[in-house]
Amino acid sequence: MTTTSSRAPAAATSAPPSRRRGRGWARRLRQDWWIYLFLLPTIVGYGAYTIYPLLASWWYAFLDWPGFATAGTFIGFENFERLIGDDLFWNAFWNSLVFLVIAVPLRVGLALLLALVLNAKRTPFKGFFRTLFFLPVVTTGAIVGVVFTLLLDASGPVSLSLVWSGLIDSPANFAADAGTSLYAGIAVWVWKWLGITLIYWLAALQTIPQGVHEAAMIDGAGAWAEFRHVTMPLLVPFLVIITLIDTVAAFNVFDLMQTLTGGGPSFSSEVIEIFIFRTAFQANVPQLGYASAAAVLFGVLTVLLALAQAVGMRWARGRMGGS
Amino acid sequence: MRRHQHRISGTSTPRVTGAGPSHPNPSDLTRRRLFGGAGAAVLAAALAGCTGGGQLAEKSASPGGGSGALQWWDQFRPLTKMLQDDLFAPFMKAHPGVTVERRQMDAPDLGQALQVGRRSNQMPDVHSLAGLGDVAAAALVSEGWFQPIGKLADFAGSPVGEFLYDGMHRFDGEIYSFPPFSGRWHEAVPWFNSAMLKQAGVDPEDEPATWDRLREIARKVTGGTDGDVYGMVLPSKETEYLRTLVERLAMTAGAPGPGNIDWSTGAYVYDTQPYIDAIEFLVALQKDKVVHPASPSMGPRDARARWAAGQAGIYLWGAWFIGGLLVDEPEAVERGVGTWHIPCPETSRNFVYSSPATGTFWVSKSSDQAKTAAEVMLQMTTKEFQTSLAEAMDQPPALAAEVIDQAQVHDAYRTCVTNFQEDVRIGPVAEVGNPGVWQVRAEMRDIHPNLGDIVQSVLTGSATDVGGQLRRFNDQLSAERERAIKVVREEKGVEVDAKAWVFANWERGKDYGQQAYAER
Repeated sequence: MTTTSSRAPAAATSAPPSRRRGRGWARRLRQDWWIYLFLLPTIVGYGAYTIYPLLASWWYAFLDWPGFATAGTFIGFENFERLIGDDLFWNAFWNSLVFLVIAVPLRVGLALLLALVLNAKRTPFKGFFRTLFFLPVVTTGAIVGVVFTLLLDASGPVSLSLVWSGLIDSPANFAADAGTSLYAGIAVWVWKWLGITLIYWLAALQTIPQGVHEAAMIDGAGAWAEFRHVTMPLLVPFLVIITLIDTVAAFNVFDLMQTLTGGGPSFSSEVIEIFIFRTAFQANVPQLGYASAAAVLFGVLTVLLALAQAVGMRWARGRMGGS
Repeated sequence: MRRHQHRISGTSTPRVTGAGPSHPNPSDLTRRRLFGGAGAAVLAAALAGCTGGGQLAEKSASPGGGSGALQWWDQFRPLTKMLQDDLFAPFMKAHPGVTVERRQMDAPDLGQALQVGRRSNQMPDVHSLAGLGDVAAAALVSEGWFQPIGKLADFAGSPVGEFLYDGMHRFDGEIYSFPPFSGRWHEAVPWFNSAMLKQAGVDPEDEPATWDRLREIARKVTGGTDGDVYGMVLPSKETEYLRTLVERLAMTAGAPGPGNIDWSTGAYVYDTQPYIDAIEFLVALQKDKVVHPASPSMGPRDARARWAAGQAGIYLWGAWFIGGLLVDEPEAVERGVGTWHIPCPETSRNFVYSSPATGTFWVSKSSDQAKTAAEVMLQMTTKEFQTSLAEAMDQPPALAAEVIDQAQVHDAYRTCVTNFQEDVRIGPVAEVGNPGVWQVRAEMRDIHPNLGDIVQSVLTGSATDVGGQLRRFNDQLSAERERAIKVVREEKGVEVDAKAWVFANWERGKDYGQQAYAER
């Protein structure tokens, strides 16, 4: 610290730091103005389509704003108070959490298994299978929803196959039954996005040097021991990133769920995005403020849950380390 | 590289090495600076070309005083060709310089587009209100969505002048819209596949007057046809379809209407026996296994497609069913389609009640072509256009009773419209009786589960206590109306109370017309 201070140039100490910084900024702006000019479209776009809607939704959450009015009236926390007592909001919140908790591990785990198989030297037609698994990723979510509505209804091939094989007694509407609609949505979502997570895992597996596998083999490690003690520890950093990406994706399921189940029947598969859409656009009198409050409250609660999870993991790790 | 740079700059003077990239010589035009300058020029040009509304500033002027084409948005897909051929094209021919550009959207898309367009000041000149929920037109008028058209064209003296109501089309003495369609219709018309019925040994002419008879025919179709064919299709994915279907069936069982109100007391009637009976009738059809098993996954259009594909014999929907078939599945019409009266629980018939037809098309407040728009809209009130409207076989036209005989329509559509004259009566509308009612409706929040939600949950097996659920909904809705009345009275000073929903002079089986409001 002392050494650093003593080496500070004399010229730099002659003006207050804030003014120095200000002059530096102005000079850089003047000299490299074209850099900022090229950045401008991105800054404007990000500001207009990300920052502004984010801030605006927070402001709207405090308004009583029927959809047909040009502006709302400030009502403080009234929308949030109503939400706290709205059973359908909590139903949608719960459904979103169930979706997240089941779908993300399923997608990450299945994709890892497939990646290990498709990364193995002995697997034939690897390129073909990779393409096959990736195809649903490039298919529009809404189209997938419509197609699976037909595949999963009582006269569709899935139901008829299960009846034919004796697994169920009578045809079932998987996407239109209150007991199965959410899980049908989860299954279709995992199927649709498995390919992209598979690509992440394949890329991650490529980073592990071949020599490590060979060393494990020479040491006599079997396939499972090699995976558990060599491959998996090296994949942990990727696991964190991939899980994070898939978690964010699990909150963006509107197109698929809206076309597959529409949130029904009886709100059984209504995730928070459909709740927001229904409140904002499909209510008898559209409630923009209330819908914004739902989005804000869901965001806040999700962050709180994530923080609680992080604290819990830290505590658990601490205890494990201590013992 | 260097040679190129010199050629652009027009000088052979080399760059001063010490200056480096961060200190360019102003007179020295490098490739980076060239791109920078070009980017700035393009950005400036793009910004200069835009207005606040995000539209390009340049807009061609029309001779009518307005600017550009008259923009027209609606949801009437089966009317696409008719509107172009029988309304816009003749008008444009008679008025050189006028261009009408129509955009057809599905109702939910249109509702969202209108909400967004309103906030961004990019409204069309004329639009319908589909997709805006149950918002009363009066609420939109009050919020300044529209401009009056009564002084721009003679709607009061037009053939539909007698159908103009205060609180629906006329506000504060100004006409804002008109009804091109009839109010005498419902959404529970039994449409049948005549070829399939004959195959099942059912005579299509032997009309089922009762619910039990309809069940019997559905059973015959299910059992008496080849392959996976079901007597009926009952789309249950969209609760709105189920709501309207049950409301109409409940009216045939004796419920008053429209609006699910007992007009003698002003109370809601969702928990009364006719509603329970109507839902139990649908459950009975399901228990008979005569309903297409994929019905819970279908919306109304999906159901029409399945019906057209020959998977079901009977489908209850609106008059527009056959118009839609002619656009999307014309072969199903050629195969044979027919219709009956809506059946009732008993042989003694009850009426179905509808409100007077609302205004369909409205001129935006922001339109600078209101006169042109009003003149186009006035053409829709002529007998010629009303005949064409009937021939499109969508919702029946306002002058249906007068034009249906001369219109070239499918026999099934003619039967459907004729049946409406016998089955449907016009009921009271609370907003017409008291302008304060729309403010109460605008204040009322949605209650869930509502009638449609309850029917869906019963049909999908997730609820069984129909009576209890209906009673809860009825009580919650009544309480919500009380709350809304209190709010608009105390906070907005509106003169309205629960008596606004009482129409003691309403008589079953009779139209509640303009005179009845005056005598109330």
